[in-house]
Amino acid sequence: MASTTAQPPMVRVSHLTRRYGRTLAVDDLSFEVGRGEIVGFLGPNGAGKTTTLRILCGFLAATSGEVEIAGFDVHTDSLEARRHIGYLPERCPLYTDMRVDEFLRFRAALKGVSARQVRERVEAVKEQCGLSEVGRRLIGQLSKGYCQRVGLADVLVHDPELLVLDEPTIGLDPAQIRQVRDLIRELATRHTVLLSTHILTEVEAVCRRVLILNRGRLVASDSTDRLCQLRRGIARVTAEVRGPPEEVRAAFSALSGVRSAVVETEGEWCRVRLECAGGADPRPDIFRAAVARGWTLREVGMAEQRLEDVFIELTAPEEGPREEAERSGT
Amino acid sequence: MRTFGVLLRRELGAIFLSPIAWTAMTFFLAVMGASFWMLLELLARGAEGTEGGTVIGQLLGSIFFWLALLIVAPVITMRTLAEERRSGTFEMLMTAPVRDGAVVLAKYAAALLFYAALWLPTLAYPIALRLLRPLGAPMDVGALAAGYLGVMLIGAAALAAGVFASAVTRSQVTAALGGFAIVCVFFLAGFLPYIPHGETMSRAAHYASGVTHLLDFARGVVDTRPIAFYVINTAWLLWAAVQMVGARRWK
Repeated sequence: MASTTAQPPMVRVSHLTRRYGRTLAVDDLSFEVGRGEIVGFLGPNGAGKTTTLRILCGFLAATSGEVEIAGFDVHTDSLEARRHIGYLPERCPLYTDMRVDEFLRFRAALKGVSARQVRERVEAVKEQCGLSEVGRRLIGQLSKGYCQRVGLADVLVHDPELLVLDEPTIGLDPAQIRQVRDLIRELATRHTVLLSTHILTEVEAVCRRVLILNRGRLVASDSTDRLCQLRRGIARVTAEVRGPPEEVRAAFSALSGVRSAVVETEGEWCRVRLECAGGADPRPDIFRAAVARGWTLREVGMAEQRLEDVFIELTAPEEGPREEAERSGT
Repeated sequence: MRTFGVLLRRELGAIFLSPIAWTAMTFFLAVMGASFWMLLELLARGAEGTEGGTVIGQLLGSIFFWLALLIVAPVITMRTLAEERRSGTFEMLMTAPVRDGAVVLAKYAAALLFYAALWLPTLAYPIALRLLRPLGAPMDVGALAAGYLGVMLIGAAALAAGVFASAVTRSQVTAALGGFAIVCVFFLAGFLPYIPHGETMSRAAHYASGVTHLLDFARGVVDTRPIAFYVINTAWLLWAAVQMVGARRWK
């Protein structure tokens, strides 16, 4: 460890490309994950998430580009890089013929936990993952939720700096999802976490930063909050005023930044829905317009854009070529 | 080295606790037992049945031995790597800090130890013959040891072929058939010296004939040429298996 220079980031990916035959799975991907960060790795199915994670963990090679884990190149210094990672593959494959204790002791020893500490570490992670009761059980006889916990215990058993979790809550029931999520949040206080998922609430609940991948390319990398605030597209504002509907629509449509206005009446109240250009905030203008005309304003609000909207927007298939294809096709 | 030990212990557990292995063992001992019984029949008929050969040679030269080997070796090894790939545990295994070579060697070593364990009970046959001396058959300890050496050498190569076959597929059935095919080709090639053709051809075939090797070993002839033949074949098959395991990291 060089003490004179700053520590290298936990993960550094530069210009990573991976092809399967002629298919381009990951296309010139570059990002970094700092120590202690909790990063959500998002993308629709087939976006290249799992491929990227497998390359990170040294399971696959990159076609080109470089990946460093804690400063170790995953290709040339693979073993050292792997020592720093706890990787939970998708669907959490385990040796079903082993007992929980036996499996965790095997994995601990395999990952270089010293013989004296194996028992202690295994007990610690079992406690942490709520497995104390099932140590003697065969893994093949455990429920999906317990299997997932065994997988997480395995990830933690050698106390790695970086946890790479590929869809850790897939196939669990809501209560189990909450348990696993709480566990991950707890882990995040002591480890760097890279969490791949396509469940957005999971990311909103756990991660502070998000990487969004689409068709092998990075389409966004920002903090969860900022990404939601970006409002790259349109903002939606609703207002309720008491006034004549036609006049209300005319007045509000004229405000700067407003693209369209729809008015519904509800007795003598009008409910107005405005679509505004990105970045525009017409709420003060709405208030002033209502006051100027003597209309009573009882509500004005801007719909908070959720990560889901941003995600859909960023990963939507490009419209142009597809329409063309459809037209020429039929 | 420690990783190898850890992996080996896991593999031994997996083999010795799997029902397939015990089925194979039962089958194997049944065949060897039948073979031994036939040998006793031969001995009972007197000298004309065992002309020239030793007792162990009669046992190992029989078609039963080869049938058992042909089937048992691929059955022992079919699980090794194919099952890891099929169940996805391969990904978990290979993302731990382990070398490809350590994984393949541990699986191979476990298979070899199980194979040796298969043969262990058959030692009872010569011991029984020696203790009971029912027929006054001569028992040469040197030839016996050489015979078992031959059995281990041929088994070592057959298991390496099986591990290689298991490394290229995710289906145990394909792995078993692949291993079976390799061992079969080798076994059938063993008959080439007995088929009349040119002098050179015949001599070359002799070098690669498992059947002749085994009969030589059973006569107590420990030749370095067959030893080298099996060691080299085992080595390159295992090397090829390691390459197959590392193939996912090819660019």
